[in-house]
Amino acid sequence: MSGPSGETVFAVEGVRFAYPGQPPCLDGVSFEVRGGERLALVGANGSGKSTLLHLLDGLYFPGEGRVAYLGRPLTEDALEETPFGPRFRQEVGFLFQSSDAQLFCPMVEDELAFGPLQMGWTQDEVLRRIEDTLALLEISRLRGRSPAGLSAGEKKRVALASLLVLSPSVLLLDEPTAGLDPRSQSLLLEILEALHARGLTLVTATHDLTLLPHLADRVIVLSEEHRLVADGAPERVLADTDLLLAVNLIHAHSHRHGRLVHSHPHQHVVAHEHVHDHGHTHED
Amino acid sequence: MTALPEWLRPGARPSGGVSPRPAAHRLLRRTLGAMGRSLALLVREDDGPNAGALRAADPRAKLLAAVGLIVVATFLRGMLPLAVCLGLTLALSVAARVPGRRLLPVLIAVPLASAALMLPATLNVVSGGSPLLVLWRTAGGALGPWRLPEIVAITGDGLLVAGRMVLRTTACAALALLLAATTRPQQLLGGLRSLGVPQAFVMVLAMAERYLAVLLRSAQELHLARLARSVAAIGVRREEAWAAAGVGAVFRRTRALADEVTLAMVSRGFTGEVRLLRPARWQRKDWLLMAVAAAVGAALLILDRRLA
Ligand SMILES: Nc1ncnc2c1ncn2[C@@H]1O[C@H](COP(=O)(O)OP(=O)(O)OP(=O)(O)O)[C@@H](O)[C@H]1O
Ligand SMILES: [Mg+2]
Repeated sequence: MSGPSGETVFAVEGVRFAYPGQPPCLDGVSFEVRGGERLALVGANGSGKSTLLHLLDGLYFPGEGRVAYLGRPLTEDALEETPFGPRFRQEVGFLFQSSDAQLFCPMVEDELAFGPLQMGWTQDEVLRRIEDTLALLEISRLRGRSPAGLSAGEKKRVALASLLVLSPSVLLLDEPTAGLDPRSQSLLLEILEALHARGLTLVTATHDLTLLPHLADRVIVLSEEHRLVADGAPERVLADTDLLLAVNLIHAHSHRHGRLVHSHPHQHVVAHEHVHDHGHTHED
Repeated sequence: MTALPEWLRPGARPSGGVSPRPAAHRLLRRTLGAMGRSLALLVREDDGPNAGALRAADPRAKLLAAVGLIVVATFLRGMLPLAVCLGLTLALSVAARVPGRRLLPVLIAVPLASAALMLPATLNVVSGGSPLLVLWRTAGGALGPWRLPEIVAITGDGLLVAGRMVLRTTACAALALLLAATTRPQQLLGGLRSLGVPQAFVMVLAMAERYLAVLLRSAQELHLARLARSVAAIGVRREEAWAAAGVGAVFRRTRALADEVTLAMVSRGFTGEVRLLRPARWQRKDWLLMAVAAAVGAALLILDRRLA
């Protein structure tokens, strides 16, 4: 079903969404996701990133506006139809922010088998895929363990494995690198890179600005007012200090050089450089 | 630079306040821990190294056999057949290596509870019959239209009724435990489904099982979080209040997490159907299991009729 790269995978138009009895947490959001694209969704805590991903995955539905997948509106009715519903579930994988919510089977192996078995694939095919996916994520030794007893990083890998085993064409990733040690983090980035090369569409919600250039070719920014305030290449968005300050992703930061304290906007970015020319406002 | 509050420094303690009583709340903490552990035992899913023939059997065969024998047990009236039924179940449980820590609670709690329930039935006032042991002599007389009994006593008939009931409930509980201990919940649900139990019903059971697991997890996490935050020991009463508030928090969190779990299942294509990796296949030994269960059931019923 998922077409050639460049085609519109998701079209989000004027979406407004509120949890029951609460003010809207997405307010008139519109954008498109194209096939094969790596899109990052950034915004401060509570800006609505996770909510937006739930909408893209057809788990919540907008109060106003619409979300379409490959030209078809994502509605409850559409998702209950065959073949659209099951195909959508197979093609779009969602890595939840909380692995605890995502892992619900008694054993890691069952966790990986869940999606494929729901799709009605044969036992042999399912077992073969489990084998391969466990090896890819270097978690074969966890196969017989209970997910509840794993470390946070291990859980994240199992959760990702449970999506990859379905061979999705789109991955929605909610804070995929949170809680991973440097080694696991680079393994994840390598895998995402390889998936990107295979033509997968990746939508990643994150506030880890350091990883942004590795995760995305395009960044959209959600403000604390739950609106879309920027859309562009990572370098351009990262360079826009005023914007990042305005959406509270970075903060004015002061630090000490010898006896002097000076203030400047600060962000924890790989390319973090600033010249200590002591030309700023000085305090004691 | 971030200005930390004045009091946020190592070793800073406010003056005054209640001095802690370290030993007082240990009991509550232990109780909670024990509760968590026994709950964990209930929803555990490890097959252990010695899986045994009963564990390998098709869940449908086990389900049919267990349900059939439970029905038979409810029809048995004689003490001997009931005792035989309980004895056989226990022997089988031991053979299938059902751990003692799962078996013992059932063998203690179920008889005690049903005995307590049946206590009134042993008295002549309730079920009549000839007195065996007089507990209390009253002055007799009448209360309005009712004649008061002259004695309150335990009767032989009453004891028989109560004994039968205690044996029967224990036998049924032991059978159910044997089934639960040798079959993983998922398999059991799959078995129910393929025996023609409606999907909606099985799905409710499946969700109940999931929610129970989630509930257990958040209860334990919350308890640990509380322990981690309890800077100084506090009084028993306050800790009890704390625990009560904790129950509320556990349920709220469980609901939120369980909702997320449901979404995660839907996201991976959940259709409401229980589908298993390596589903059990009905084999010749499953027919054998059914045949043996049927024979035992029939033998018990015949023995029962003979003795009656
Ligand atoms: N289940 C819910 N019920 C009610 N309100 C919710 C729920 N989930 C999120 N919210 C609210 O909606 C807003 C957006 O939440 P969301 O989780 O989408 O933010 P986020 O950008 O993912 O934040 P974070 O970076 O902390 O993960 C928040 O104000 C939050 O309090
Ligand atoms: Mg979030």
